[in-house]
Amino acid sequence: MKINEVPQDDLPQYYEGIKKGNYAVDDNGKYVMVPSKGWDVDELVNRMACDEYHAALEETRKAVLAGQKSPLAYYMELRQLIPKFLGKTAGIATFRVKRHLRPGIFAKLNDSVLDKYAKALAITREELKTVPQNSYER
Amino acid sequence: MTTSVTTETLANGRTYTHRTAAHCETGVTSALFFDKGLNLSEPMIFGIGSGIFFGHLPFIKWTGLPITTFRSMPGLVFKKTAKRLNAKIYRKRFHSPQKGMDELRCVIRTGQIAAVTTNVYWLSFFPRRARFNFSGHNFIVLYENENGFRISDPTLLEYTTDCSAYDMERARFARGPMEARGLMYYPIYVNPNPDIRKACITGMLDTCNQMLKIPIPLFGVKGMRYVARKIIKWPEKLGYVEACRQLAHILRFQEEMGTGGAGFRYIFAAFLQEASELFGSKELNELSNEMTVIGDTWREFAVVSSRIIKQRKSKREETFDKAGGLMLICAGKEEQLFKDLRDVISTLKT
Repeated sequence: MKINEVPQDDLPQYYEGIKKGNYAVDDNGKYVMVPSKGWDVDELVNRMACDEYHAALEETRKAVLAGQKSPLAYYMELRQLIPKFLGKTAGIATFRVKRHLRPGIFAKLNDSVLDKYAKALAITREELKTVPQNSYER
Repeated sequence: MTTSVTTETLANGRTYTHRTAAHCETGVTSALFFDKGLNLSEPMIFGIGSGIFFGHLPFIKWTGLPITTFRSMPGLVFKKTAKRLNAKIYRKRFHSPQKGMDELRCVIRTGQIAAVTTNVYWLSFFPRRARFNFSGHNFIVLYENENGFRISDPTLLEYTTDCSAYDMERARFARGPMEARGLMYYPIYVNPNPDIRKACITGMLDTCNQMLKIPIPLFGVKGMRYVARKIIKWPEKLGYVEACRQLAHILRFQEEMGTGGAGFRYIFAAFLQEASELFGSKELNELSNEMTVIGDTWREFAVVSSRIIKQRKSKREETFDKAGGLMLICAGKEEQLFKDLRDVISTLKT
């Protein structure tokens, strides 16, 4: 890759003005590091992953509002966790976490267990009991 | 190499110079050694630490899909480089977050800078769309201040920044695949005049073995062929949309995560070029040019794949056969390159 081939696509919403280092060959055939503003291939694959994440999150939010899942499922997905790692973070066995994803069982949890989850998910206990009415970003 | 420089004064009055880099671990290692008086460029560290690799790990899932890596395990480059340069290092993981944070505070209070491995999700200075649950980002902690910690992130930023103590603890001790468990490392003593030629030869030989000799078909050149054949079969096996999703996932590992372009192939070419100057060897320079060509082929693979993904709902011009074929070409070329490199190494003198 020559210096003038380093992609400089203008994608401010993607990397927020941060430049990535790219190694490229200069006119004398020597390698130098060239900051790149962004590449649309990069942006495309990142957008795909982000969209997938948001779509799954939105689906879970609707499922919680419809009473099929507990709010814990929503916040777990918001923090990009799976029951195994949420359990490890909160100090609760995985099979219990999986049970707590069911709304009926979640509703009966006592405050000490809720506090453990709230701390692990970096939200308050009150927030954990409901999901936002409108979808929001992170 | 240094595109922008910011200086910071450490706890004991020493000066630290921030330098930018393409990849986090090599950038951090380069900065740590520079702080101890040994000036090695990022590609040089990458070569000595045998950073280049290829592996497909279907049994470790990241955002629900298998990992395809273009570099060696996170943390290994620093370890190998230090060993080959005869540096004494401190490298530790912690069970308790409290102990890990206390130890970090203790170390930076003495004016010693320390590198930590973190989970990107919890770092608020990261761009929002890059914050995925990935434990493998390295940066250097400089000193404590009123906002938490002053840090230097060579990959991401052209200047030093602040990171709150809460972010730091969550990021260092996040649970997930390949968790860092608060890994913290720095060199204690670095020989200012090490035998760089010997270290380069060890590094290059190790690289050749990693790429050619691992008897598991998921790693090295064999791994590339395995993945390439899988790509060709995906549209039939998984359906077009799912195949695109998996292909995009590979591209993320190749281009998105601070690779210096083409899944580290350009950094390695830069290393071969520096090594050719060091040894005065023409053959190494030719191999460097060859590596650049391979890197360009990887770039082409990325472009072709992105076209496949873009047109996933409309008529197909580019096909998975073509993408997989390009990867097979890369595999063939790399196999030849590493075999040639092995032959060249035997003619080099330390």
